[in-house]
Amino acid sequence: MSSPKAAAKAAPKAARKGAPAISAEPSKSEKAAFLKAMMEGIKPGSLAAQKSAAKKEPGAKLLGKVPKAKAAPAPKTAAAKPARAASNKAGEGPKVEILRKISGASGVARTPESERAFALAKELDAALVEGKIDIIQAPAMQALLGALCRVYAANEDAGNRYPILAGRAAVTGTDVMIVCGALLKAVDLQVFELGMWQSWAGR
Amino acid sequence: MAEQFVSKASEFKDGDRQIIRLGEQEIGIFKHEGNFYAYSNFCLHQGGPACEGLTIAGVKEHLREDKTSAGLYFDEKSMHFVCPWHGYEYDMFTGEQVADRKLKLKKYEIVQKGDEVYVVA
Repeated sequence: MSSPKAAAKAAPKAARKGAPAISAEPSKSEKAAFLKAMMEGIKPGSLAAQKSAAKKEPGAKLLGKVPKAKAAPAPKTAAAKPARAASNKAGEGPKVEILRKISGASGVARTPESERAFALAKELDAALVEGKIDIIQAPAMQALLGALCRVYAANEDAGNRYPILAGRAAVTGTDVMIVCGALLKAVDLQVFELGMWQSWAGR
Repeated sequence: MAEQFVSKASEFKDGDRQIIRLGEQEIGIFKHEGNFYAYSNFCLHQGGPACEGLTIAGVKEHLREDKTSAGLYFDEKSMHFVCPWHGYEYDMFTGEQVADRKLKLKKYEIVQKGDEVYVVA
């Protein structure tokens, strides 16, 4: 005769025996379904899409199924907006809601000087690719770098602060160290003096 | 599939983009070199806002004849956008993930009528 304790222990084991075996390795069909889902991406309206939206908007609830969006209201003045009314009829589809507008990088010249600067930069880059590193003579390089330093510093002082290099500039860390080192040397500054100034000035 | 008005074309400058919600879908609309491209804003990796990250040209390398490097450069003929969550990078012209071209964001057609921009969805 078994004790009550032994019976209690045996019961879960029996239940586990009846349950389907859990395999760590997914079946072939599960793997195929997973790959198919990866290829298709997240379908709008799916639970995954809702989870993604909930991550972006912590207040949003996961409902399991997204309710159908309300039909777009009819244009108030159909005659005033004939083209839009023709394509975007009431009840034809959900309404477009603009979530955000993101401005592009301003790589467009707005002054003649900027236009010339863009053209010169492009010309220098092209010459560098061809190995013509002496396309600019030393005095011209000194004049250009000096003027750029003064103009950038004046903007910085005036509160017009922007990154000195564009996000898309292909300048390596080594390039920067070479130029910064040369600039410091040119004005007889040591690296520790730069560090001190930065800590005092809070920059 | 219906055309839905999005915006005035004149409000879209080159390089600009808009993220719109259309029913259950979120769509990123890009304007690049005068052309419009629209893709699902759900990243194939983990559902991040794929169309809201950095836009960047493809990086290539100049090689001299002896195969030594003459430096990296941005290939202006290609343009990518990068999901800000984990860096999945997509081709702006096709919506393909650049590391694995089999993975593709859902593409939406954009129709321009005069000064008005419509998305077909």
